[in-house]
Amino acid sequence: MKRPSISKPVIPPALQPLAKSVREHTLRNGLKVRLLPSHAVPTCTLYTFFKVGSRNERPGATGISHLFEHMMFNGAKRFGPGEFDKVLEASGGTSNAYTSNDVTVYYEDFMAEALPTVLDLESDRMQSLQVTPKMLESERQVVLEERRLRVDNEIAGLMDEELSSLVWKAHPYRWPVIGWQRDIEAISRQDCLDYFRTYYAPNNATLWLSGDFDPKEALALLEKRYGGIKPGPAAPPVLDAEPEQKGERRAEVRHPAQSPSLLVAWRGPRGDDPDTLVLDVLQYALSVGQSSRLTKALVYQQEMAVSVSVDWTWRFDPGAFLVAMELKPGADPKAAEAALYAELERVQEHGLEDREVEKARNNLSAHLIRELSTNNGRAHALGTYETMLGDWRQGLALASRYEQVTKAQVQAAAKKYLRPERRSVVTLVPQAVNA
Amino acid sequence: MKRSSAVVTLRPLEAPRRETFTLSNGVTVHVVKRGALPLVSLRLLIQEGGAHDPISVPGLTDFTVRLLRRGAAGQSADQIADAVDFVGASLGAWASEDTVGVALQTPSRHLDSQLELLAAVATQPDFPDAEVELARRRTLAQLSNELDDPGSLAERALQRAVWGEHPYGLDLTGTQRSLETLGRPALVERHRALFTPARASLYVVGDVEPAKVVARLEAALGSWKRPTSELTPLPRFSRATRAGQVTIVDKPEQSQVQVRLGASGIQRGHEDQIPLGVANTALGGGFTSRLMREIRVKRGLSYGAGCHFETLRAAGAFAFSSFTKTESTRELVDIARAQIAGMKAKGPTPAELATVQRYLAGLYPTRLETNDAISGAIADVDTYRLPADWIEKYRDRVMAVTRERAAAVAARHLPEPDALTLVLVGNAKAIAPQVKDLGPVQVVSPKDLG
Repeated sequence: MKRPSISKPVIPPALQPLAKSVREHTLRNGLKVRLLPSHAVPTCTLYTFFKVGSRNERPGATGISHLFEHMMFNGAKRFGPGEFDKVLEASGGTSNAYTSNDVTVYYEDFMAEALPTVLDLESDRMQSLQVTPKMLESERQVVLEERRLRVDNEIAGLMDEELSSLVWKAHPYRWPVIGWQRDIEAISRQDCLDYFRTYYAPNNATLWLSGDFDPKEALALLEKRYGGIKPGPAAPPVLDAEPEQKGERRAEVRHPAQSPSLLVAWRGPRGDDPDTLVLDVLQYALSVGQSSRLTKALVYQQEMAVSVSVDWTWRFDPGAFLVAMELKPGADPKAAEAALYAELERVQEHGLEDREVEKARNNLSAHLIRELSTNNGRAHALGTYETMLGDWRQGLALASRYEQVTKAQVQAAAKKYLRPERRSVVTLVPQAVNA
Repeated sequence: MKRSSAVVTLRPLEAPRRETFTLSNGVTVHVVKRGALPLVSLRLLIQEGGAHDPISVPGLTDFTVRLLRRGAAGQSADQIADAVDFVGASLGAWASEDTVGVALQTPSRHLDSQLELLAAVATQPDFPDAEVELARRRTLAQLSNELDDPGSLAERALQRAVWGEHPYGLDLTGTQRSLETLGRPALVERHRALFTPARASLYVVGDVEPAKVVARLEAALGSWKRPTSELTPLPRFSRATRAGQVTIVDKPEQSQVQVRLGASGIQRGHEDQIPLGVANTALGGGFTSRLMREIRVKRGLSYGAGCHFETLRAAGAFAFSSFTKTESTRELVDIARAQIAGMKAKGPTPAELATVQRYLAGLYPTRLETNDAISGAIADVDTYRLPADWIEKYRDRVMAVTRERAAAVAARHLPEPDALTLVLVGNAKAIAPQVKDLGPVQVVSPKDLG
C-alpha cells in the first residue's frame, strides 16, 4: 500500500499511555501479533483481521468472502461442527465477525481466564478449517436468509446494491459484499477450500489481543498455538481496472414505499490518500450534529429531507463519498436533489467557515477517543488503523493530522471530487403494492 | 454432574464506586470518578415515562422531550446545536416507558459549559411554535416511513397484541392521529409535570472532580423548584391481550416473514429475574441457545432467532423474534413453540446451566466498561429499586442459580402455548393458510399501525 505523505505521527498526550502499552511481534510464519494489556475489567478481546474481502472475489463466486466468514464457525480439526461457539460460550465468551469489501474480521470477548481456550479455538480454525458438504448447505441457507433480510426486503439494501454497480464498472466493489443470490447458491466446497488456502494463511492476518492478561504469558501461548501454522503464498493482487467516469450515471429502484428516497455517490480517493482525511472533515462538517451544513439546511431550514447522512468509508482502492436522503411522503426527489447540489456548490464556491472546520475536527477527535473506551473498541480501532493506514500509530495520531487540514484543502477537495461527472444517483420511486 | 458442580472462581470485578450528594432543592447527584480518557457522561433522569401519557394522546412525552433541544432559556435551536456540536459533545433526550432523561457526553474540559446547556434544555425549554410545527411534520414523516420496515412493523404489532389497552401498550412515539392533535400548551404542561426536582436525579461518570462538579450542578440546578404530584400506579397485567390469536400485517411484496411470539412476563426486580434470565439465555440468549441451534444451525431457516423478557417497572412481557422465507413460516413457528414448551417443561440441562452461567457471569464486566454503561447500570439500580449490591454481586447471583431453581422459574414464567400471541409480517395470502389452525387470524395493513 502507498503510504500517506505525512511526517512522523504525533500522538496526543491523552493517548500516549495507550500507545506505550502496545507490544508488537511477528511470528516466523508472518502472523502479526499486537498486545494491548489493560486491567480495568477482568475480560479480554481477541481480534483477527484477514486482508481479504469481496474485493478479492470474481464474478460467479461473489459473496464467497462472507459465506466463508460464516463457515469459519462450522468446525475445524480439533473442534468439530458446532463446537466453536459451544466451547467459547461455556468458557465465558462470545464471538462475532464481519466481512467488508476489503477485510474479514473476527472477534471474541471473553472472561480473562478463558484466554488459552480462545487461542485454541482461533488457531484451530486458522490451521485446519473443515468444510463439510452438509454444513456448507445449511450455512448457505442462513446466508440467503440474511440476504433476504438486508437486501431483498429492505429498501436501503436494494438502493445500495443498485448504487455500487453504477459507481463501479470494472472493480469488484461493484458487487454486494453478501454476493448475488445465484452466486451464493453456486459456490462449491472446492471454491471454499481454495479460498481458505489462499487468503487465510497466517501471513495474511493480524491479531490484536486487548484486556486483562500478562503480555509475556500471552505471547508464549500465541507462539505455541499459532507458531506451527504454515505460511501461504502471498495473496494475488487485485487489479483496479476501473475506467475513468465520463459523466453522471443514474438509476431508479421501483418498490412499494411510503416515500421516495435518494442516494448519491461521488467517486473518491483511496483510503490512504492524503485527501481521505480532508474528506473526513468535509463529511463531518456536512452531516454530524444538528448544526451540520446539510442537516441544518435540508432537514431543518428547507425541510427537504426527514434525515440526511453522509458516508465516507476508507477503502483500499478508490471509494465513494455518499449522501443518503430520507424524504417525506409525496416529496419531489428532483427538488431534493437540486437542494442538495445547491448546498454542495456553496461549499465549492465559498468553502466552509473556520468555525465549521474546527467543529468537524473536534467531533472527529471526540469520536476517536470514544471508540477507545472498551477492550473491544481499542483492539478494533487500532487493528483497523493498522490495516488501512499501515501503522496503528497513524490512527492514534489522527487528531493531530486533522488539525493540519485547512479550509482551503476542504474547499479544494469538494471541488475536485463532488463534480457531476464523478456522480451516480439512485432514486427510490414508490410503487403501489400489488396485492 | 461434574460440569455443574465445578467451582468457578471469578477474578474480582471492581464495582463502580459512587459518591452521593444532595443539591439544595433535594435533587440527588451520584458521581463516579473513573477512567483514563478525558470524557464525562452526565445524565438527568426523571422517574416517569411515556406509560403515563394520556390514553388519547400517545407519544406526548416522547414528543415533549424531542423538542427540549429545539430552543431553551432564550437560546435558539441553532445556537444550542452549534454549542453542543462545536466541542464534540452529544446531548440528547429520550423517553422510555418508565423514565425520561437528558444525556450528555462531553470531553471533560468542556463539562462546565455543557452542563449549563443540559440544565437549560431540561428545565427551561421554550417550545417555540415554529419548532413544534417543524417537529410535527418531521415526526409524522418518520412514522410514515417506518411502515416500510418489516422489523419495526412487527414490533409495533406485537406491542399492541401483547399489551392491548395497558399503558405499556401505548405507542411511545405516538400515532399519526395523536401527533396531529398535539399543540404547544400540551407540551408545556407535560414538561412541567415531568421535570420536577422530586422526580429527578443526576448521574455523573468519568473524568471529574466530584466536589467541583457538584458545585457546578448546584449553581446550574439548585434553584430549580417545581411542585410535584403523586403518580398513579400502573395497572397490573397478567395475560397478553390477543393470547391464542394471530395477527398478520400484510406486506404482499415481501419474500420473507418477520415472526414474533409474545406473552406476559415479569416486572424488573422480580425475585425470579436472575434465575429466569439464566433459563431464558439457554432457550434463546446466546449463539448456542436452543432456538438458535434448532432454527439456524440445524435447519438454516433463519439468520437469527432469540427470545427475551422485557422487564419494566410495573409489569413485563416475553417476546420471541425471528424471520424466515415465506414458505417456511409455519415450520419456524412450530419449532419456536416446541422449544418454549420444552424449556418450560424441564428447564435447562446441567450442561446448559453451566454454559449459561459462565457466559453471563464471565461477560458481565464488558457491560461496565464505558462511562455511559456505568451511569446506566447504577441508574437502573435506583430506578427499579434493585439491591444495593446488584452490580457487585450480579455474577455471584448468576453462579448460584441451581438447576432446580432455573427449572422452577421456567415452569412458572415461560408462557403456556395458549398464552402466546403470534404476529407475522409478510405476504398475508401466502401466510394465512399456513397458520389458520393456530387461532383466529386478523389481517391488518401497515397503515393500521401508523
